[in-house]
Amino acid sequence: MQMTINGVVQEFQVDDQTLLVEVLRDHFHLTGTHIGCDTSQCGCCTVLMNNEAVKSCTMLAAQATDSQIVTIEGLASDGLHPVQEAFSQEHGLQCGYCTPGMIMSTVHLLNRHPNPSDDQIKEGLAGNICRCTGYVNIIAAVKSAAKKIQEKTV
Amino acid sequence: MNAHLPSQLVLDKELLRKEDLRLITGQGKFTSDWHYEGMCFAHMVRSPYAHGQIKHINVSDVRNALGVLQVITSEEVDAAKMQTLPSGVTIQNSDGQAQHLAPMPILAKGKVLFVGQPIAMVVADTLEHARQAAELVQLEIDMLDAVTDYESALSPDAVQLHAHVPKNLSIHFSKGDVQATDKAFEEAQFISHMKIKSQRLIGSPMELRSVLAKYDATQDKVTIHTPNQGMLGMLGALEQITGIKKDQIEVIAQDVGGSFGIRAGAYSEHALVILAAKLIGRPVKWVGTRSEVFVSDWHGRALELNGSIALDAKGKILGLRFDDKADLGAFTCYFGSFIGARNISITMNGVYDIPALSMRSELYFTNTVPVSAYRGAGRPDIAYAIERLIDHAAHEHGFDLVALRKMNFIKPEQFPYDNHMGSVYDSGEFELLMKRAIEVSDFNHFESRRAKAAANHRLRGIGLACFIECSAAGTTNKDQVLGRFTKDGVLQILGVTGASGQGHETSFGQIVTTATGLHADRIQYLAGPASKALIGSGTGGSRSLYGAGSAVQNLCEQILEKSKELAAQHLQVEAGDLHFDHGSWHLSAKNASVSLDDLIKKFQPVDASAHPLDAQGEASSGSTFPNGCHIAEVEIDPETGVCEIVNYTAIDDLGVVISPKLVKGQIHGGVVQGIGQAFFEQAIYDESGQLLTGSFMDYAMPKTGCLMQIHSEHIEVVTKSNILGSKGVGESGCSGSLPALSNAVINALRPKGIWGMDMPYTPPKIWEALQG
Amino acid sequence: MNPFKYHRAENLQRAKDQQNSDENAKYLAGGMTLLPAMKHGLIQPSQLIDISTIIELGEIQDDALSVTIGAATKHDRVATSSLVQKEISGLAYLASQIGDAQVRVRGTLGGSLANNDPAADYPAATLALKGQIITDRRTIEAEDFFTGFYATALEDGEIIRKVRFIKPVQSAYAKFKQAASGYALAGVFVALYPNQEVRVAVTGVGQGVFRWLAAEKHYSDSSQVIDLHLDNLITDLHATSKYRAHLAKVLFNRAATQIKQYT
Repeated sequence: MQMTINGVVQEFQVDDQTLLVEVLRDHFHLTGTHIGCDTSQCGCCTVLMNNEAVKSCTMLAAQATDSQIVTIEGLASDGLHPVQEAFSQEHGLQCGYCTPGMIMSTVHLLNRHPNPSDDQIKEGLAGNICRCTGYVNIIAAVKSAAKKIQEKTV
Repeated sequence: MNAHLPSQLVLDKELLRKEDLRLITGQGKFTSDWHYEGMCFAHMVRSPYAHGQIKHINVSDVRNALGVLQVITSEEVDAAKMQTLPSGVTIQNSDGQAQHLAPMPILAKGKVLFVGQPIAMVVADTLEHARQAAELVQLEIDMLDAVTDYESALSPDAVQLHAHVPKNLSIHFSKGDVQATDKAFEEAQFISHMKIKSQRLIGSPMELRSVLAKYDATQDKVTIHTPNQGMLGMLGALEQITGIKKDQIEVIAQDVGGSFGIRAGAYSEHALVILAAKLIGRPVKWVGTRSEVFVSDWHGRALELNGSIALDAKGKILGLRFDDKADLGAFTCYFGSFIGARNISITMNGVYDIPALSMRSELYFTNTVPVSAYRGAGRPDIAYAIERLIDHAAHEHGFDLVALRKMNFIKPEQFPYDNHMGSVYDSGEFELLMKRAIEVSDFNHFESRRAKAAANHRLRGIGLACFIECSAAGTTNKDQVLGRFTKDGVLQILGVTGASGQGHETSFGQIVTTATGLHADRIQYLAGPASKALIGSGTGGSRSLYGAGSAVQNLCEQILEKSKELAAQHLQVEAGDLHFDHGSWHLSAKNASVSLDDLIKKFQPVDASAHPLDAQGEASSGSTFPNGCHIAEVEIDPETGVCEIVNYTAIDDLGVVISPKLVKGQIHGGVVQGIGQAFFEQAIYDESGQLLTGSFMDYAMPKTGCLMQIHSEHIEVVTKSNILGSKGVGESGCSGSLPALSNAVINALRPKGIWGMDMPYTPPKIWEALQG
Repeated sequence: MNPFKYHRAENLQRAKDQQNSDENAKYLAGGMTLLPAMKHGLIQPSQLIDISTIIELGEIQDDALSVTIGAATKHDRVATSSLVQKEISGLAYLASQIGDAQVRVRGTLGGSLANNDPAADYPAATLALKGQIITDRRTIEAEDFFTGFYATALEDGEIIRKVRFIKPVQSAYAKFKQAASGYALAGVFVALYPNQEVRVAVTGVGQGVFRWLAAEKHYSDSSQVIDLHLDNLITDLHATSKYRAHLAKVLFNRAATQIKQYT
């Protein structure tokens, strides 16, 4: 099968039942995408597929054939993405395990809602669980990232 | 296909923590991220029954299955002479009666005692092969009745879990002065009672429990990757279980995805993966699934605290007594007993001056996952119980709940305050903190907000909680860290305590920067293999900052001492004429100075010998007593029972604060875990011992938006128990939030005649209570 | 997961041919329900036929009387479609409340209907909006489609192509989420049609979606609405039948109030 991963076209062979997250982690050693549950709820495995956030543990690699996949490793080609910066600066991460997924979901949210309301943030991150931060700083990180992105595009 | 870390030059904005760069770019390395050549994969076979006699385990089909390299049952465990998992601290009753211990075997033998208990491990070339092979296990188990709560465990005709433990009672423990307490209750003008259930929780750190081990036969050395809370604790447990000497084991955990007390020691899988690696001669990896971890990570809480308080006519507390029950689960593991005896007694007076205290607790076994430490380990539970009881007494007997607390606070002049239950509080300004919390939360104008909410058909409530925490004295009498300079002049600090999100690399780095002026990127903190010769406690009980941090502070002092001599040499002056300021040694008389940076470079040895500035720091740090006042304001929609947190104020005394933002992060995290317990979470077993809340589909975790903002302040009341003057913070959030939230909900419901309710306060529960 | 073969079907005929050749093959749309079930070993198909990229299954069409949505249309598309938002706002809102953001990018209308989870959202909309489930071989009225607990009228190998929703005058959906899973503890869809015709469909509280006739009858005076019969409702870990019955009433009122604000 073929797909573009972090801007590079990849052709590879895996069994049909291989999950997208397994291809990313085991085949391409992109271990930034994590597995945190087995009921598709925690969001630790979130990546961007054709610029939209999906849970890579609930997708077959085959379903992603001919798609553009972006993982946390490929989010910024040079330096850091504003969302990455904001997460650190607002202390929106502690152990870091949920963080890649949380960042990818935030990128998706801000693509849809460049200036999200509290409710939109709540809904946008409902598919990502964090146990360390208590979310308050994550909300601050989302708002800070929104501002950074708006300033950049001005 | 590895993305590179962006160079520092490209970054135009500073990051908050050193750890952040790798974590936000996906370059962190958690246990399951490691890959070794020739690695094979393990899968566990677990008991599907809560209680049964094992008649027969046949693994011959498993051994012959495709790709299988090894199958381990209790036979192989015995042949390898493995011991049981550590039981943890043994409790002794005041009458000398010893505890009935029931240590957990690595793999079930004779009986299975909880759903999820490990029975066998299958190792194969792929995980899929191991899983498929595991389905071929033939298990014959005669089911027995299961007991899943206190009533069923201690009833006269209850089935016995362990032959040597009659009535499933591990021990009954008591502490305090029963006579004095009885007298206090006899003389009391007012008495109140409150029963608190702190429900069983599943800690659920986001990184799944996992182990990767490889064995080097030529050196007889084991290398093990696993999330843990401090290498020495893991090593100690492994040595006890496997017999392999600590010197022969390396524990590696670069990044750990949260632990909250659950990862303090080794589990069956740790021992089994090591054994498998030895037997097969290839690295072995085991990663739990979330559903699996739900029935095998140690559970938390599971306490019942029955409190009674005795007041005189004016409201002065004369005595406090507790009658408690602690569910240990199926076995005595690690901290369960410690929690049910020590932790719910040592701060049972909270922040109050109470002359007569007594408690007793019953620690019992059930056919459930063993219980061990989870953020606070009994201390948030007792804080919750005390503050609910105080509020209840205030309402029952017509006292103002603020005035009642104020009247009974331990006053500053009473320190050091020995509560005769195991704690000597060294410092605190309880009244000051409460005053600040009341001010910030606009507590005094609450009633007008309640009225306004009522006009909108909402029930608004406010809850105040004053709490104190005993953070750990540690498991060793001192903490040590080693500082050595690399060829590039970077100060590498080696310590025992490992982070799982707390930001040790950053906060310890901050201590060094403050003391020496060295820039953050010239400092590196490493916990792990090279630190084995050091003495120190792991991460737990909220002590890393003041424990190991104090050792880091001491290290800095030693390095500076040594550098003074070198500076004197370099400047050709007397050392006594030098003073240190802004990273450099200055000669007061002349305009001469030399920076520490330059000294590091100048005196770098050309050969492999140690840098003259290398040093070892150490410090002995006792327990500290972080404390605080949290105020929560909630609003309930009586139509649905949904409870929203509209305001949360946390005023905490954490002693001297090194990293304010990191400390606030700990408070937030602790508060939201408290929110989880207060509104969402509960591990529920059915009568047959099946865990009904077996995944995130049924076990509700707090999510973004459960708390929109929190006003968090700290007031520094310095402690002398360590050289930094810091108190711990890791668990305070829970100790404050459980009582604050609970008092707020009850405060909202009390006008409707409801004055008691068990957590979690789910919408259906609140609604049904309102129906009367 | 057990090994299986994956085929991406370019069109409906190919999909059907593939399915005909293997009775243990299953259609795959979003996979948001199918894949988790397969990961737990609950379903073990020999083949997965991916129908999610078949163009005709992904279109949203408008005509005077109805909006027709392709079975493989993702929840996110329905939620953000300006057409659906304008013509059947309750349906767009419902789609925005399914699962979470990531699930909505993949999950589909057809997948949800074919599964008929008793706590899923789309069945409520389909029943309330006089839905017609158009398959590869017939049209099934919503009334006849939902046959029971996780059961539908679909025959072996039958594929849902699209669903026709009759445009209401106004519509609204009110949902109360189960805190862990995000599924409906109760969900009520209200659709107002000309001539005071009201249709109320309830999900999450029982064995499957149903029309709440008492609520329809007393739409204009909700105090007259009798409670749902508790015997037909679920009591589980999360809520009692009594609470669910009450929620249904509350949600009905909220949806009805919302509609009245617009009409």
